Amino acid sequence: MSSHNDEILAIVIAKIRSTIQEDWIEDFEIGRETRFNDDLELESIEFVKIADAIQAHFGTDLDIAGWLSGKSIQQLIGLSVGDLTDFISGAPRAPKDR
Amino acid sequence: MARILFTVPPLTGHLNPALAVADRLASQGHSIAWAVHARQIGGKLPVQAQLYPVDPSEADVTCISLPTVRGIESVRLFFEDYMIPMARQVLAPLEEAVRDFCPDVMVVDHQMPAGALVARKFDVPWVTLVTTTASIQKMSPSLDAWVEEQFLELQTGYLPPDRIVARPDFSPYNVVVFSMESLMGTTHTRVDAPYSFVGPAHGLGRRFVEFPWQWLRPDSRKLLVSVGTVSRDGSNRFFEVMIEALRQLPDIQAVMVAPPELAENAPDNVLVCNYVPQLDLLDRVDGVICHAGHNTVCESLTRGLPLIVAPIRDDQPVIARQVIDAGAALFMRYGKVTPATAIKLIEELFATPSLALNAKRLGRALRAAPGAVQAADDILALTTSADALHRVA
Repeated sequence: MSSHNDEILAIVIAKIRSTIQEDWIEDFEIGRETRFNDDLELESIEFVKIADAIQAHFGTDLDIAGWLSGKSIQQLIGLSVGDLTDFISGAPRAPKDR
Repeated sequence: MARILFTVPPLTGHLNPALAVADRLASQGHSIAWAVHARQIGGKLPVQAQLYPVDPSEADVTCISLPTVRGIESVRLFFEDYMIPMARQVLAPLEEAVRDFCPDVMVVDHQMPAGALVARKFDVPWVTLVTTTASIQKMSPSLDAWVEEQFLELQTGYLPPDRIVARPDFSPYNVVVFSMESLMGTTHTRVDAPYSFVGPAHGLGRRFVEFPWQWLRPDSRKLLVSVGTVSRDGSNRFFEVMIEALRQLPDIQAVMVAPPELAENAPDNVLVCNYVPQLDLLDRVDGVICHAGHNTVCESLTRGLPLIVAPIRDDQPVIARQVIDAGAALFMRYGKVTPATAIKLIEELFATPSLALNAKRLGRALRAAPGAVQAADDILALTTSADALHRVA
């Protein structure tokens, strides 16, 4: 895996921890395979907050809502931290990051 | 007098409001029949009720049970493994019931779509009963499209093509919702349908359960902790965390509806009961920790009680969000909550006056709502307009 991807993974994980802000998540191991629904028990409103924090970090070129709306119910159920990371890796970066 | 056929799934939370409405209609002299799973809920109907069993043959019984996973996956499994297969099984016996009883109007629970299809096929005017407002909210475009796909498959081959609609589960005549718009909020768009928000059905569902009332001290603040009987996932983790938290809050008394083996480890201020007289108990407590089941939430708010909601599956995350947004509840993460977080939330529940104030505001609206009386009137309105139609024809 590229270091670019690892860097994004680290940011995604940091945003998950800072958005949830509960005691259990500090020690909870989060990796590419971690699923938002099953493993983190995230509410959809929390997923939106995490997505917003990530968009703010990378600039506004990420269309996370558009990406999600193309997903089937099975894909949404199994959505993992790795899926979100790969989407961000493949998305065009905002100019300010370059 | 009107002939009214009720059909509901074999789930207590759906049967009880329907029973309250049917009771009202029967007291007005109307003729009521039930097309339901007799083996599961036949015994809960009034003794004089006319019953059309829709039970599948013994061979089919085992394949349908309520899913026990959490979150959005439970919504998928509810459709794929429960509601849609059950609909296919009961179409034929339901048709027989309609042919035999010749109802003037059908009353169909929202999660009994076979009833909706039969009413559409036979041109019987019908009312939908909705027991949870989560059912009428739109979700996301892909989820809503998936739901329509499920219903399209169910209708194909049963209804003629010109009668197939996107959401056959919503009556075009009247959709009676046992909740309030003030609780539901306006953040989510609804499926387009002719709604009648009547509030909780009230009455019925109250049965006698022994309870050691003398255990409750007059000077304590009291909590009811219940995640329902259907929602329990076989794990005791949640209850064990609550017990640990409450051990450190000795001034609070908590009645916990949980498996009896947990009593061994419970401190003096926690009473573990397998069953409780929930409505009577709600009259005596100051707050509720629950799974955000629609009935428990409405029953708590009706008494002006603030809540901590720990949703698990099905409609619970949606109902939890509604009551949090209405300012009457705090969120607890069911499978992750620790004793420290639980203590913090319980203290916050009692230290935040706005929670109780909002609960009381919603409670006033819920108590003033007409409930089953209005639902019965809505159903009868359909029979009189149908009569008028027949006269014209």
